[in-house]
Amino acid sequence: MPRAYLVRSQRERLLEAMLRVAAAKGYEATTVTDVIEVAGVSREAFEEMFGDKPTCFLEAYDAVFDVLVAHVTAAFESAASEPWPERIAAGLDALVGLLATEADIARLSMVEVTAAGDDARARYRAALARFTPFLEEGREYSNQGEELPADTARFAIGGATSMIFDEIRAGRGPELQRILPDLVFAVLMPYLGPEEAESEMRRVTRGT
Amino acid sequence: MGKQAAPEVQAGAEGTAATGNVSPQAPALRLVSSPKRQKILEGMLEVVGTNGYDAASVRMVLDLTGLYRQAFYDEFADKDACYLEAFDFGVTRLEAVARAAAAAEESWQGQLRAGLAAVLAVLDAEPEVGRALIVEVHAAGQEALQRRSQAMKRITDFIDSARHASNGAGSPPPIAAEGIVAGMHAVLHARLATGEEGGFRKLLPEFMYFAVLPYFGAGMASAEMQAAKA
Repeated sequence: MPRAYLVRSQRERLLEAMLRVAAAKGYEATTVTDVIEVAGVSREAFEEMFGDKPTCFLEAYDAVFDVLVAHVTAAFESAASEPWPERIAAGLDALVGLLATEADIARLSMVEVTAAGDDARARYRAALARFTPFLEEGREYSNQGEELPADTARFAIGGATSMIFDEIRAGRGPELQRILPDLVFAVLMPYLGPEEAESEMRRVTRGT
Repeated sequence: MGKQAAPEVQAGAEGTAATGNVSPQAPALRLVSSPKRQKILEGMLEVVGTNGYDAASVRMVLDLTGLYRQAFYDEFADKDACYLEAFDFGVTRLEAVARAAAAAEESWQGQLRAGLAAVLAVLDAEPEVGRALIVEVHAAGQEALQRRSQAMKRITDFIDSARHASNGAGSPPPIAAEGIVAGMHAVLHARLATGEEGGFRKLLPEFMYFAVLPYFGAGMASAEMQAAKA
């Protein structure tokens, strides 16, 4: 096996092990020993690749969002012929679907991260900002485009994130799909106003 | 040690639970049972806001306030207990500031504008208090998060009183107010956490826009945004 492949796969195994262990027992309680045991990789290899636990965690964290963003992007793009509100609903549907399936990792990346220190929180904010381009297309779609405040995307993402945070924290992460209509409303409302946001919310509720 | 013998009256405890209507005669502001206790709570907020919750220590609070160790432990069991009360104290104070500013206003929009402006002014003057309440609460455990949810619920209820406040108000889905509060919170959180400070007051127009939009529509939202820029 080519050595480059081996290294990449060891790295991936370590990143995944970091996520699984931290999701199961919490970031604080997670040790490098746990991670290398689950990954089946030597301590030397871990140290060579990451150096320490926080570095490994932050990289694993980015990897989670790479997957989430790719998943949401695919849903958003596959609805390319639909109007923007429907594409947003498709993206949100993909997001909550994946978070619900991976409830432990969802808890780690959406809830526990906010308690994990400045670096992790900075990563979290940067990760959420990756959803901004999908939202900002709403400026062209909205007939309020010119008027919309500068922080509209941050506001919309923040509203949705906070609802997701509350659900996961309340232990309802696996049923996250249930709040999809609310999320659709919260994200669209700042761009489109209440009527259009509500009509898309109703469409999503009907499941059409 | 007299952990919570004293009735730690927080004026807001009942006062702030009432939502939806801002009482013109807010109760006299006596937030805490003793000046020493209040000094510790203020010190705790400043230390947490400046250093972060995890790094904050009782020692730092003592250094800041010039109190003796015993004085702290006479009042509080530990850092966590002190922070929880400091959180309530800080939130109660912000709510009282908002209430006082809104007291002269008649309309929901007027009360919202005045209340928000007053709170944003506090954040401009004391960003470390904002960080202690809005950012660091996440590092302070489950009970702290619970209290944060309760505070956000009170704000949500006030926002949603727009439903009944005025003629011609729309009736958006129940989630609308929660989304508004969460959105404002996210904008404040991001600014406080990144030290993007100064100019919280400048957020007032866009906050008015977002809050007015679901109840009164885009035209009124734009008008309120312009009015708040003045």
